[in-house]
Amino acid sequence: MLEIKGLRTVFPTSKGEVVAAKDVDLTMEPGQIIGLVGESGCGKSVTMLSILRLVPHPGRIVSGQVLFFGEDLVKKSPLEMRRIRGKEIAMIFQDPMTTLNPVFKVGEQIRESLRIHGIMSEQAGSWPWGARYRLQAERDKVIQLMEEVGIPSPQARYHEYPHQFSGGMQQRALIAIALACEPRLLLADEPTTALDVTIQAQILDLLRRINETHGTGIILVTHDLGVAAEFCEEIVVMYAGQIVERGPTDEVIQRPLHPYTRGLLRSIPRITREKRKLEPIPGVVPDLANLKYNCAFYDRCDAALPKCEHDELELRDVGGGRLVRCVLY
Amino acid sequence: MRGIKVLERILATIPIMVGIAVIIFIFIRAVPGDPVDLMMGEGGYVSEEEMEAMRKAFNLDKPVHVQLYLFLTQTLRGDLGESFLKQVPVTDLILDTLPATIELALGALVFAVLVGVPVGVISAVKQNSLVDRVSMAGSFVGISFPHFWLGIIGILIFSVTLQWLPTNGRLDSGLSIEHITGLYVIDSLLLGDLELFWNSFHHLILPSATLGAAVAAMIARVMRSSMLEILRQDYVMLARAKGLSEYRVIVRHALRNALIPTVTVVGLQTGVLLGGNMVVETVFGWPGVGRMVVQSIYARDYPVVQGAVMLYAFTFVIANLIVDILYTYLNPKIEL
Ligand SMILES: Nc1ncnc2c1ncn2[C@@H]1O[C@H](COP(=O)(O)OP(=O)(O)OP(=O)(O)O)[C@@H](O)[C@H]1O
Ligand SMILES: [Mg+2]
Repeated sequence: MLEIKGLRTVFPTSKGEVVAAKDVDLTMEPGQIIGLVGESGCGKSVTMLSILRLVPHPGRIVSGQVLFFGEDLVKKSPLEMRRIRGKEIAMIFQDPMTTLNPVFKVGEQIRESLRIHGIMSEQAGSWPWGARYRLQAERDKVIQLMEEVGIPSPQARYHEYPHQFSGGMQQRALIAIALACEPRLLLADEPTTALDVTIQAQILDLLRRINETHGTGIILVTHDLGVAAEFCEEIVVMYAGQIVERGPTDEVIQRPLHPYTRGLLRSIPRITREKRKLEPIPGVVPDLANLKYNCAFYDRCDAALPKCEHDELELRDVGGGRLVRCVLY
Repeated sequence: MRGIKVLERILATIPIMVGIAVIIFIFIRAVPGDPVDLMMGEGGYVSEEEMEAMRKAFNLDKPVHVQLYLFLTQTLRGDLGESFLKQVPVTDLILDTLPATIELALGALVFAVLVGVPVGVISAVKQNSLVDRVSMAGSFVGISFPHFWLGIIGILIFSVTLQWLPTNGRLDSGLSIEHITGLYVIDSLLLGDLELFWNSFHHLILPSATLGAAVAAMIARVMRSSMLEILRQDYVMLARAKGLSEYRVIVRHALRNALIPTVTVVGLQTGVLLGGNMVVETVFGWPGVGRMVVQSIYARDYPVVQGAVMLYAFTFVIANLIVDILYTYLNPKIEL
């Protein structure tokens, strides 16, 4: 369904060019759930926005392909892109509190998605006789969507404004917006980061149910490897704009290959009786405008070899559906 | 619910108005020396009887608290005294000239919004482009150059050189119009007289643009900066991710939010447009309150000046009230 090849997105800055997505390769089948994991600032959001061609100015995609059912989105005209956004590929953003437009009723914001892609127009007939019928049909569909994502008393809440919703409810409304046109791919960019833990679990449940009932493929972006492990069939680990490891979830968790993935796993807290010392990865994420070594992880790596500094690196297939970008394999 | 709150707000302006009246009252009395002497000081020979009559007119022969009481009750009844010069009630004079001022202020406001909002939006959307730079330079001129200068340049270009627009009055001399609202542009339409409409409209353009230039510039700047801020918001990104056209993203999702700070500017400037038009009305011979005030100041016709000051203060209070009410419609988060 989705095949990203050599995607490279850059931001020109005063300190030099920031390569926020560096030769990203990714494949995904319909209905699959993929977890995209990495530290803050490693380019997860930029990669997602690149798929929709929504990278904010001055960022731009300089090379690569984003094949969606065989068609390259990078080459699409703005009009063609607009028909795909929201309809074929929808996105959920990180911070629900700032993602709904404060001046419009929540119900109307969901309805806009239906309206813009003419979801209810066919059954309703043409203007002017169909218009009133269409409005009603759209409202009904919105109520139904709000019910589906678990917003209680949707009839009343249709007419409320975003600030009258809690964070969890706002994220549900945003999921309703994303689901309105039954997209085939849902890009969920840290949908639970801004929410507290119980709400997190509910939202993830909701996403899983959507995946099961509608067959929507989901890319779940998260910096929490635990969440990804629980939720996704496949895990993609990003570091400094690059994919460093990719593979089936169980394999990656039980037998992480890349030293960075191993480090990430060691730094997750677990609830157990015995006290286990957390081992944070030493050092900080490198400055993307100024990468010194060929392997961006070189100076933080506990398994670094002298050759790491200069050797060419590529995402190598090591069998069993696993890929890793490291000289060790 | 909202209706009740609006009413509350309207009632809350009453003490403010009374306060303003008191301040004006104190101001007149705080002038050192006998106000009547002062007023008549340069007026040449004034008889003792005339002085006495004037003291009576201002109630200056009575104790202060009685004066205050009389002043307030008279003002509340709409009695602002009588013009020294024309011997007619100030209220009548103001009512005669107010429609012209309102027409000019509305014209200026329409001009300011029609120019300021699109310029601000386009500058923000095309930030740092040539359009943006030219607009912002233009807005600088609009804000910093005085009215009379803009007015005279306008007259030189559009009236003298191009001969497109008239320079004086509200209608060509010889024409007259039946007063309905007192706003000629509207009255002529109500009367169905297109010729009069064009005539009055032509007369309105140059004064409106002159008066509105500074406000247009201010709106453009506020609009630009709030638009730049809004365009970075997540909900604008969501609007794009929904598949909306860029036009719809900007006009429906961003503009509505960016208008909120702009409304404050517009509202406060409305007061300025109604009360700060002496120069423009004088330059263009526009028979409004502002020109009357200027003439009254020259003639030392204090009751008229005082009445106009009262009106201006009132206008500011009302403009503020309207801003507050409008705000709640634009921003659901804010309640009255
Ligand atoms: N508007 C921008 N201008 C300049 N650089 C940017 C911009 N947006 C992102 N970047 C760069 O791209 C890099 C990746 O950013 P991105 O938002 O994709 O990170 P992320 O992985 O989503 O992090 P987080 O977990 O914090 O959301 C950042 O380090 C930043 O340097
Ligand atoms: Mg992000």
